[in-house]
This record gives sequence, structure tokens and C-alpha cells, in this order.
Amino acid sequence: MQTNLSKSFRNSSDGQEADSILRACVHCGFCLATCPTYQILGDELDSPRGRIYLMKQMLEGAVVTQKTLKHLDRCLTCRNCETTCPSGVQYGKLIDIGRKFAEQNVSRPLGQKLQRKALAKFLPQTKLFGSTLKLGRMAKPFLPDSLANKIPSVNTVQSHLATKHSRKMIALAGCVQPALAPQINAAATRVMDAIGINLITASNAGCCGAVSFHLNFQEDGLDAMRRNIDAWWPHIEAGAEAIVMTASGCGATVKEYGHYLKNDPAYAEKAARVSALTRDLSEVLLQEEATLRIWLANRGPKDTRRVSFHSPCTLQHGQKITGVVEALLTVAGHTLLPVSETNLCCGSAGTYSLLEPEISTQLRDRKLGHLNQSEPEVIATANIGCLTHLQSGTSTSVRHWVELL
Amino acid sequence: MISNEVIRRLQSILPPHCLLLVREDLKPFESDGLTAFRNTPDVVALPETEEQVRQVLAACRETGTPVVFRGAGTGVSGGALPVDGAVLLAMTKFNRILHIDPASRTARVQPGVRNLAISEAAAAYGLYYAPDPSSQIACTIGGNVAENSGGVHCLKYGLTVHNVLSIRVLTIEGEELVIGSEAMDSPGYDLSALMIGSEGMLAVTLEITVKLLPKPERTQVVLAAFDDVEKGGAAVGAIISGGILPAGLEMMDKLAIEAAEAYAHAGYPLDAEAILLVEVDGTQEEVSEDVMRVREVLLASGATEVRTARDEAEQKKFWAGRKAAFPAVGRLAPDYYCMDGTIPRKALPAVLRRIAELSVEYALPVANVFHAGDGNLHPLILYDANQPNAWQKAERLGADILELCVEHGGTITGEHGVGVEKINQMCVQFGSDELQAFHGVKACFDSDGLLNPGKAVPTLHRCAEYGAMHVPGGKLPFPELPRF
Amino acid sequence: MQKIAEIIRAAQTPLRIRAGGTKDWHGENIAGEVLDVSANTGIVSYEPGELVLTARCGTPLAEIEALLDRHGQMLAFEPPHYGTTSTLGGTLACGLSGPRRPYTGSARDFVLGMEILDGNGQHLKFGGQVIKNVAGYDVSRLMVGALGTLGVLLQASLKVLPKPQSEMTMQFECDETEALRRMNEWAGKPIPLSAGAWLSGVFTVRLSGAESSVHAAHNKLGGEVHEHGAEFWKGLRDHSAAFFQDEVPLWRLSLPSTTPALSLPGKQFINWGGAERWLKSDAPATEIRARAAAHVGHATLYSGDKTAGVFQPLPDALMKYHRRLKQQFDPRGILNAGRMYPGL
Repeated sequence: MQTNLSKSFRNSSDGQEADSILRACVHCGFCLATCPTYQILGDELDSPRGRIYLMKQMLEGAVVTQKTLKHLDRCLTCRNCETTCPSGVQYGKLIDIGRKFAEQNVSRPLGQKLQRKALAKFLPQTKLFGSTLKLGRMAKPFLPDSLANKIPSVNTVQSHLATKHSRKMIALAGCVQPALAPQINAAATRVMDAIGINLITASNAGCCGAVSFHLNFQEDGLDAMRRNIDAWWPHIEAGAEAIVMTASGCGATVKEYGHYLKNDPAYAEKAARVSALTRDLSEVLLQEEATLRIWLANRGPKDTRRVSFHSPCTLQHGQKITGVVEALLTVAGHTLLPVSETNLCCGSAGTYSLLEPEISTQLRDRKLGHLNQSEPEVIATANIGCLTHLQSGTSTSVRHWVELL
Repeated sequence: MISNEVIRRLQSILPPHCLLLVREDLKPFESDGLTAFRNTPDVVALPETEEQVRQVLAACRETGTPVVFRGAGTGVSGGALPVDGAVLLAMTKFNRILHIDPASRTARVQPGVRNLAISEAAAAYGLYYAPDPSSQIACTIGGNVAENSGGVHCLKYGLTVHNVLSIRVLTIEGEELVIGSEAMDSPGYDLSALMIGSEGMLAVTLEITVKLLPKPERTQVVLAAFDDVEKGGAAVGAIISGGILPAGLEMMDKLAIEAAEAYAHAGYPLDAEAILLVEVDGTQEEVSEDVMRVREVLLASGATEVRTARDEAEQKKFWAGRKAAFPAVGRLAPDYYCMDGTIPRKALPAVLRRIAELSVEYALPVANVFHAGDGNLHPLILYDANQPNAWQKAERLGADILELCVEHGGTITGEHGVGVEKINQMCVQFGSDELQAFHGVKACFDSDGLLNPGKAVPTLHRCAEYGAMHVPGGKLPFPELPRF
Repeated sequence: MQKIAEIIRAAQTPLRIRAGGTKDWHGENIAGEVLDVSANTGIVSYEPGELVLTARCGTPLAEIEALLDRHGQMLAFEPPHYGTTSTLGGTLACGLSGPRRPYTGSARDFVLGMEILDGNGQHLKFGGQVIKNVAGYDVSRLMVGALGTLGVLLQASLKVLPKPQSEMTMQFECDETEALRRMNEWAGKPIPLSAGAWLSGVFTVRLSGAESSVHAAHNKLGGEVHEHGAEFWKGLRDHSAAFFQDEVPLWRLSLPSTTPALSLPGKQFINWGGAERWLKSDAPATEIRARAAAHVGHATLYSGDKTAGVFQPLPDALMKYHRRLKQQFDPRGILNAGRMYPGL
């Protein structure tokens, strides 16, 4: 596509990247088909191609207003469009640039500003989030449904004492997951232990940076990334094989550290190394499939279920991992049920469910319709955001897939 | 510019989120899939109900305001290019499948439903909707009706006109007409043949009933590589003369293979000068026999390699590359210009040879994607719109290619429509009497010329100018057209 | 052709277009001097490898079919011959298709291009000789079934198809409802059907395709093989079967194939897998038309008293656009005026 970015912007690092991404787009419109917001709203401006155009005119120097910001905000960043795009347009990277640019050039209404800031500053802080959640749970009976639905019920965790193995991998504790669903990392530790790998946690690591970054507090996000790199570095130097992600949303972000920090001379190299070492839990288990099978065989059959699997966007589109979790669940003896529209977002999308509740709920219910179609005993997914969001709309139990191993 | 009175009327008809009025919102609608032609619309209407469509059309009729219809905006002839002073009416919010009747094998859908969504919904009954344009993932059935879209399975299963049973349309005079029926014919003239492919010039479609076909018991795809494009072309003729009617018969040349492979990782042989994809379908027995025969013919025609897809996944991959071939060439150059000529198959070697020469003359690479079975050529001219005059060069090369098709007894458009893009070539394909007859047909439905004005059928005046200017060349045709 | 054009230009009163004269009975009775187009014959081009045949419209169908047959090809819409002199032009003008129609397409579906003379004697060429062509409005297909009221058909290009390797006709004893059920159910499955009919308790189907798949389908479906299948379908196609040989008015009802048994007085020969129902009945036209309309179909009178009109009346809005098209192509109302509806 022809571009004409303003001279000053074109010379910046963002400008060069945006220009090359925009030029790759041939405006074919294939992306409309798989964009969740376009499916619901039917408006070009709420499609990837429409947003690309909005960003293009903004980056070319046109005066833009909250209208552009609104359509950029409505994007779930599910990156389904990237999977669909035959021309290889890196939409995710473009919208990061576009959002940053828009945030700097368009002022938001005060209420929106405060809400976004509160989320960006608060969610990534594990302890603060955890204690607030406890308060919320106590108050749940007194809250209106709309809010009460968002507060997940308590999960008890059996802690596993890991034996000492020579193989070590780093786990990311994350920000909201330890408070919302501590059992996920516990299950991951248990399974990894069973196949002879110690899963260790770096004490200073926290939020992967996605929450702040995608709320357009990009600097805060980058700081979180640097902090994690610092926390992991000693372990990496000590021979940790990989950094394992139990939330695909975090995984998609950590795998991009190298990209996000490419202009930071102090961190660029380390960030690239971290990204290269990062694996989704499913990738690790697939790699260790032989050992996993032996363990499963020795353990004997566990209660096997009829499972509908929801592949998070950050897994299938962000990390381009498809079919792996499904295969692992099958290996473990579960029955995978057919699900339609598997490529479409559930509407959780990080903080999206809080900021765009209407679209988010429509997407959630559409997704749950497909997931519940074959009456599963349990819905499995791979990301904490999807898990809590889906659970808020169904009585079917929604679990992280590793809990089913 | 559109008058304030029209805007006021539209505001009284449509809620704010269904009416776009400011430049910031309008600019993304400036082009459809053909980005070389752009024109920011004055206003975009996104109605949600048929009543709103009716009222918008009434407002346009009463104020003499033109209307341009738009679906997903995936068309590649500029059919949905905005017109100055017109309302751009996008039907994308009408995206519901209303009813699928497995017994009568029909689907009743709204015009904004995606082509592929119909087959996806019908799959549960072992049925599908046959026409499958490359953009089927995104293009709307309403747009398919407007353009009479084809696809890779046309040779055996026909175009949109062969697969739509009935349409309910609204004329600019405000009448609702049901054209065609769920019976196999209807009394009176065959207006559906006229409406389908009329490029939004006669009426707007509100509802469409399509025919669904049973999914073949089995399909199989054979891939053949050739070290010479002309050998590939000859193989196509040999297959058809041999009495085989493949469901799909596609050809790609080296450049197209390279681009498609980069996207789809389909395992195409990158050293081939051309590949053929031959899909046969039918019963188990039929497919086994046909595959054997096809393989024999391909080998006898000099194929350097013949591969049969191992399983359904590989078949899908073979097709994925082909279906995404257009946008995938976006990997080779920032812009491409897709042509759509059809020629008698026997003319293929001569036409391909001439296209290669033209490519050298214009110094623009051309990737060839070809519905070989039905003679429908899609040369993709690669260019970089950021380079001065590159588009003008590409456009002239395109015009030469289309006129080459007419010269060989073919046509300027097999399935993409005329739009704004091929309007000059209509003067080459048709005489003035036929063009006048087309204007006559248009006048029967839209005497004030409010629907999609300036598209599909050139004025005689325009043709006179094109003819006069055509001989010497060099000079830019039609300076009044928006051009980038 | 030049001569025909001159006659049209010179005509002051309506002309009645005629070639083989095998369908004089079709449509409304009209007056007017006969415009004989039977001399406009000849196959212009035919290349089996292109699957395209172009012929002048006065060419006898039989001649075209014989040529195609020699090359293992056919007119896949299986056009009826209502006599030995049926021509290509008459077939297209009437838009007639035979038993294969639901499975391969109608006459109109196979038309690629057409040359016509309009009501001013102007020679116009639409469409072309290639399988895919969307340049300009599809006027060629508009001419199919227009009964010559929009133009005299001079020449047509058709898509042709390879003949199936083998065909087999089978019969089953069952009632009308069961036959309709099976026809629709089978049509939704990958079975190589090419015709489906029912008459007086006998359900007849035809399979076409590779020999192996025809046999496989027969094994699956069962049924008694009809030794003279080709004759059976010809009798239905050309109305030479005994069913058609009496004085009772003949109606053709075109309906969605799933329309249940009609229980109209008289006897029926169901064709097109349920979508075409030939009815021999003395029931009043209004009753038959109302029944057809109730099932979103229409009824055409093929023989009998034409005072109630041959074709199902059109809604006013639709008729308005028909009149305008007629006005456009034949402003003086010279060509087959009134053959379809009064005023067209």
C-alpha cells in the first residue's frame, strides 16, 4: 500500500517500522473475516484493515480525535488477523506503535484516563491484587452481578514439594495468576517434577509487562520487562534451560521482549536471549513427550473427561502454537470435543473485559455457545485471562489444561 | 459535495453509530480491494435494518443523490469506489444466516454474510456453497451477487449466477422485487441473470437464497510441476480433451509459486516454472479412476513431477497457497495490480508469451495465477506505488494485457467485474450499439442514474475519447479520473 | 441474417418468429406475419478441447447433438425435442431443459454468448465464447426463456460437457410421498444422480458417471434396472410417453423440489427430482395456479384452453420492469408481441 508518512516520523525507529508494515498491507480485506469486533459490529473502522487505515492517516499527519482512539481501543489485540493475513502484515507491532502515537496526540476523557491508569498500575502488583481480591471475595454477596461475576471464587492449592532434579527451568509467577489461580503453577510444577525438571521461580520477577504496555503505559511495561530480565538473568547464567509460561498471554509478551527492548542498548541483547529461551508449557511438554508418556502410563488412568478446549489468541495467533495442547490432553486420555469458530477471541483480552464490557460479553457468550455445544464436563484453556472471563459466564468448570494432566 | 439537506435526512434515519460524516472516519472507506483508485466518500451509511435501507434509498431518490453500495470491500475492480456527492451504503451489518434447509438444500442469508460462512454453516448437513472466490473468507455474498463472482471451481460448478436461486432486491424507485425462486425457474424474463453481475447498478440486494450442493464423497488434488509454462498450458487442454471435468484446475507461474509458498508452506516445488493443481471430486471410485487418468495425462504432457496430496491436510495446504496467492505477492512487492482476462484455452501459450514480453517492455514483474480450466487469467503486475509513475505504468501494462485477451477472442473480465478499472476496455470489447443497449437496461431500473454512477458501462463519449487517444499512446487517459 | 434484419426494420405490424415450428403451441396464441428464421443454420465453431460450441440459431438440435456425440460431448441440459425439426434458437427462446436439469443446470446456465436482432433490426452481440465472462449486463441469458419477445436469436455460444462414461436407470415401486422424500434425500448426498421421476407408483432414477461409481451407487440404492432407460427419459423429455397422449389439459408446475404431494385432481408425472410436476388435469386454472403459488412456484399451461392465460401472472412491480425491458429492446412491439403476457 502506498504510504506518505510525515518526514520527521518516518525517520524515527517507530516510523521506519510502521512504514514497512503499512506497505506490506495490500488492502485485500481477508482480515475482516477473522476480526472479532468486525464480526460483531460490521463496521470497517472496527476491522484490522480499517484500523490500519486510521493509523496510516494518523501517522501521515492527519488530525485525529478520540474517534481514532476509540477504534484502536476496541481492538482486542488478539492478532487473529495476523494469522489470516497472506501478506504477512505485522498488525500487532503496528498497533503498538499506533496506540503509543495516539495516546501522545489525542487526549482522553478524564474518567477513561483514571480507569486505565488504575488498571495499569494496580493489576501488575501481585500482592496488592491478591489482597484486594480477598476483600472482593468477602464482599461478593453484596456486590451487583456485573461486578460479582468478575470475582472468581477461591481455589485451594495443594503444594507440591519438588524433588531435586538436575534439569531446571524458570517459571513466571505472573501478576494476577498467583492470586486468582495459584493451582495452575502448582500443577505445572507437579507435572514438570514428574518428568524430571525442576520448575523454579525468580523472586523478583512479576508481571510480564503486557498489562501496562497494552494500556499504553508503554514505559511502565518496558520497566517490568527489564525487572524480569534482571531477576531471571542469574538463573539463566546458572544454566536454566528455558523460561516456561503457564499463561499464554505472558508467553506471547515475553517472546517479544527482544523486539520491545531492541532500542535499549543495555537490555537489547539480554532481552533477545530471554525471548529465545521462552517456551509455553505445552511446547516444553511436547518436547518431553516420550518421558511424559512413560509417566502417564506408570501413573495409570486418572479421571478422564470430555473436554472442550479454548485456544487463547495469545497461544494460537500470538505464539502460533496450534494443536499442541489438544494433543497433550488426548495423550492424557481425555476426549477432545469438536468446537466451531476456534480462531475467534473469547473477549477477555487482558483488561479488555473491564474496559469494553459490552463487546467483551458478546464475544464471551458467543464463544461459550461454541464451547458448550457438545456438553463438555470441563472447558480447558491456556491463559488466566480467558479462564476467569469464560468462567464468569458459564457453570461449566473452566480450568487450565495442565490441571487436567 | 453532499448537501446538508441529505445529511439531515440521513441523520433522521440512522442512529449516530450507523452514519459516518467526518473525514477521519471516512478515509478508511476510500477504496475497496483495488487501492490504486481512491476517493474519500462524503458520507458512509451503515444501516442495521431493511427499513433503514429503504429510507436511505428514498432520501437519495428524492434528493437526486447517488448511492454506491459496498460489502466487505474486497472487490478488485473498484466497484465500490466512492463517487463524489454520493452516499456510500455499506451492507456489512446484515451478516446473519437466516435459514438453512437441508431437505431442499438451500440457504437463505443476508447480503453481508461471508461467502465461506455459508459453507461453514452448511457443513453440518454435508452440504456446501460452490462458488469460492479467492477472497471467500471475507467477501460477502451480496458482493458476490453484484459481481457474479467465480472461483476455482467454476468449470464444474459455475459462477454465482448458477448457484443463486433467488434474490430479494430493492429498486431505487422503492419497490421490493423477488427475483427467481426456490423452484428451478420462474415466470417472465430471467431477471436474475440481469441482476447478478450488475455491479450495484440496478438495485440493492436485501436477501439471497443460494443452492447448496452435497459435499463430494471424496476429493483429491494432484500437483504437477513443469519446467516450461507452455507445457503446463498444453497439459490443461489435454486433461479436458481427455473427457475429464476437474472440479478445479489451477496454474501458477514461478513468481506466484514463490509468493504463495512463502505464506502457505504448501510444499510447492520452488524450482518449477509452473505448477498445475488439479482437483477431481466425486465418488470414491470415480476419483480413483480420474486421479490415474490425470496423472497419466500430466506425465505424458511433460510434467517433471506429479504429486498426489497425501491426505486432506495436504490438499488444504495445496489450496491455501493458491487462494492466498494474490495478497501473498504483497511479500514480493509493496503493491500489485490484478488482471482478470479470460481467453480460449488454446490461446494460452501465445498470450503468456506476449505477457512475458510486455513485462520486459514495461520493466514490471508479472506473476501469473490462472484458473486454467476455464481460461481465466490473473496476471498480477507488481509495482511500488511509492515510486513516481509506477502505477501509471502498471495501469498501461494492465490495459495492454486486457486488450490482448480480447484480441485472442476472450474477454476483459472473467469474474472480477468492470468497476472503474476496466471501463475503458469495455470500449474495446463492445461496440457502441451494445453499450447503448446496456445503458438502456440500466435506464429500465434506474432512469436517473443514481446507482453506482460511472461504473461498469462507459459512456459513448468516453469511448470516443479512449479510441482517439488509444493509438498514439503515452498520454495519460482520462485526466478527470482520480489517479495515484 | 441481413434479410431478417430488413424484414424487422420494414415491419409495421407484429411478427411471429418461427424456425422448425415444433413449439407453435407454446405460449399465448398470437397473430402476426411469420418471420421465418429456419434458413439461419450452421455450426460456426466447435472445439471439443474448449468445451464451447457456437451455432446459428436455426441449426437443428439434432445436428448439434450428433456432432457433439461424435466427440463424446453433449448439451448437458438435455433439451426437449418436441419434433424432429426443433432448433437451437427455439429451445433457447423457450428456455427448455430436460430431466438432467436439476443436476447439471438449465439451458440458460450453459449460454455463454448470444447474437441477436433487436426490435429495430439492430444486430447486437453479448457475452462471448469463453466460460467465464462478466463484462456488461448478462443480456444473453436474459434472452433465454424470453420467447423471442426481446430479440430474434441469431447465434449462440454454449458450454458443452463430456458425456458420462456410463448411465443406468433403475426403478422402485413406491408412492408419491416416498418418492419425493427419496429424491430430495439422495440429492443431498454424493450420489451421481442425473434424473429423478415418478409416475403412478413407480419411482425412476438415472445415475451417470464413471462406470464403477454408477455400479457402486446402484449397489447402494438398489432398484430394478430399466432395460430401456434411455427411451424412458426421452419419452418424458419429449412428451412422447403415453402419459402425455390424451386431450386432457397439460400443466407444468415448477415448484421447490421438497413441495409435498399436491393432491390436485388428475394425474401427475413428476420430473426434476420433484421440482417439475407435469399435471394432466381438468381443474380450473385458478385452482392450479393458487396451489402452485402457495408453494412459491408457478404453473404454465402446455395444452388446453388458453383463455385464463398460459403463464402465471406476475406481480405488478415485476411486470412494470418487464414492460420497460420490452420497450427497450423492442420499442415498436414487433417481436412475438403478446406471446408471453399481453403487452410484452
